[in-house]
Amino acid sequence: MRRLGRFILALLRELADESAYQRHLSARGCPHSAAEWRRFSEERQRARCAVARCC
Amino acid sequence: MAGAAAFCLGAIALHRGEHIDSIWLVLAAACSYATGYRFYSKFLAARVMALDDRRATPAERLRDGQDFEPTNKWILLGHHFAAIAGPGPLVGPVLAAQFGYLPGTLWIIIGAVLGGAAQDFIILFASMRRDGKSLGQMAREEIGKVAGFTALITVLLIMIIMLAVMALVVVNALKGSPWGTFTIAATIPIAVFMGLYLRYWRPAKVLESTAIGVVLVMAAIFAGRSVAQSAALAPPFTLGAMALAIAIIVYGFLASALPVWLLLAPRGYLSTFVKLGVILMLGVGILFVRPELQLPAFTRFVDGTGPIFAGKIFPFCFITIACGAMSGFHALVASGTTPKMIAKEGHARPIGYGSMLLESFVAIMAMIAACVLQPGVYFAVNSPPATVGATPAAAVETISSWGFPVTVADMTGLARDVGEQTLFYRTGGAPSLALGMARIFATSGGGRALIGFWYHFAIMFEALFILTILDTGTRVGRFMLQDFLGHAWKPLGRTSWMPGVVATSALIVGAWGYFLIQGVRDPLGGINSLWPLYGTANQLLAAIALCVATTILLKMHGAKYLWITCAPLAWLVAVTFTAAWQKIFSPIPAVGFLAQADRLAASLRAGAALDPAATQALIFNARLDAVLCGVFLVLVATILLDSLRVWVGILRGTLEARVCEAPFVLSQLREEEL
Repeated sequence: MRRLGRFILALLRELADESAYQRHLSARGCPHSAAEWRRFSEERQRARCAVARCC
Repeated sequence: MAGAAAFCLGAIALHRGEHIDSIWLVLAAACSYATGYRFYSKFLAARVMALDDRRATPAERLRDGQDFEPTNKWILLGHHFAAIAGPGPLVGPVLAAQFGYLPGTLWIIIGAVLGGAAQDFIILFASMRRDGKSLGQMAREEIGKVAGFTALITVLLIMIIMLAVMALVVVNALKGSPWGTFTIAATIPIAVFMGLYLRYWRPAKVLESTAIGVVLVMAAIFAGRSVAQSAALAPPFTLGAMALAIAIIVYGFLASALPVWLLLAPRGYLSTFVKLGVILMLGVGILFVRPELQLPAFTRFVDGTGPIFAGKIFPFCFITIACGAMSGFHALVASGTTPKMIAKEGHARPIGYGSMLLESFVAIMAMIAACVLQPGVYFAVNSPPATVGATPAAAVETISSWGFPVTVADMTGLARDVGEQTLFYRTGGAPSLALGMARIFATSGGGRALIGFWYHFAIMFEALFILTILDTGTRVGRFMLQDFLGHAWKPLGRTSWMPGVVATSALIVGAWGYFLIQGVRDPLGGINSLWPLYGTANQLLAAIALCVATTILLKMHGAKYLWITCAPLAWLVAVTFTAAWQKIFSPIPAVGFLAQADRLAASLRAGAALDPAATQALIFNARLDAVLCGVFLVLVATILLDSLRVWVGILRGTLEARVCEAPFVLSQLREEEL
């Protein structure tokens, strides 16, 4: 049950881009800040809007 | 497992004259999927693709912490499924249920196992071996420049039709419904609040803001009943189809031009979580309630005289259900983000093949939700006035004369239960799906007292993620158009140049908005002409994906495994070309666009048209639809012929069979890193 709970939380964090943001911070070696989140979020959404969505 | 699949399929196919339990459909689907996954996908993975976990994937080789990142396979499966699951697998089966539960169910199961899942899996594999390249890039590299350019134009045109038809589904679900309109309108300020919350108050707390958003949306659904019952508040939210269409067009334009963080991004998060939650709830609800199917295996409308959309079971059943069985759009997703995040090649099997099976299961659940309605109710909700009669009394008389008894009192009582003024002529599939879902949810908990809440919960869920598709789709279309126009005049290609952004947004919104208005004005309800056009286009896109997949398999193995993609390709070409031909040239006005235009022109000449200007517009629209259908055919025929040229060249040895894969690099990734 604990493994299932961990998996669900990890999935939710991935879908919510929270894990991607953590990776972004690690890759750049910078701490979390409002400005960094905005930069990440804008890049992420721009990339997301560059590919067609399914019907 | 294969025996159980065959037994269950036999049970649903051979039972006549009695209602069958929906669990048969669930078991038939689950056992078929298990068999297909265990044997067919394993064969594809081992023999055809030769997936090799020792080979480093693009996620490992090009790791950048953003786009390219090795990800746990189950998390990526959830991510990929969330990206491919749209309203298509929900609405398509509901509309196709006019033929009965059997044809659609068999197509969903067999089409997904042998066609759709294989297509998604092969395209995902191909993109993964090519550093995550898109379908268009692969078409250009593997087939040629003509195919690549044609694929780009085709995708843009298909997106315009898709956005129009999805907007029409929302319009038909919300017209004359203050409760539904209020709830959906409330999601806009809720999304803006989430956007501000994420940007200024609690940056990066997406789960937290989404949880708040979900609570607010549920509160809006509860408040919707009071709004609908209020003499002062109900009128502003009781909108006709045209007013709703204009509101959605304005919304689409604003969503495309406004900063992403303000509306689009928070709405996207909200929609993803609501979508996954509701699909899970529906699955559990069906297993718990095990409702009986009320629609027969086949209806009389297999002959092409259906009231929801005209056309015979072949080819129209197979283009009406696209996403649940085979979808070209999945190939775009499978060659987008997902291949850049796969950690091990072996993970492509559950993610590519498995996700499509889950999507197909969603379509089965939608089919069950539609078929648990009384057939008379199903047809009364989904039929336009032009086919069943302009008054409720005339509609129930027509529908009852088909052998599906229903009364005005039944419909009035049902509308009262769910808090609607009427449920007649609610075409588009969404209201009948919401009724079926509400019945399943209410039986699971809350009973009749909560059926109104569940109905509007289902409407909110459908409208929310259709509107998310609309706003992101409009933006994607704008980017594609800017990319295209940027070749002609550079400033138009810059996404930071505001006049270019506004002009291209207006062009895209204007294009789908035109078809939306056309659908609203159409006397047959719009769905009759637009849904087959969209279904044909989507399946034509799948044909393009299969052309690319066939070329790749041919280069890898020669003719040995061509049947894997050529069999579904041949089926799709037969279905889509027949459907497109009939939509253009059928002499039956309800089916053929040109025949429809001719009939309207004749009535205009005879002075029988009540509104000559409106009739003139309908004639133009029917001819425009015929031209568009023809353009789709020409575009796909171009890719098909270009592919055939390459295939024949490779088989004869006159063309080099060069596989454009990235070179082998040994993986250093350890399992515990994931």
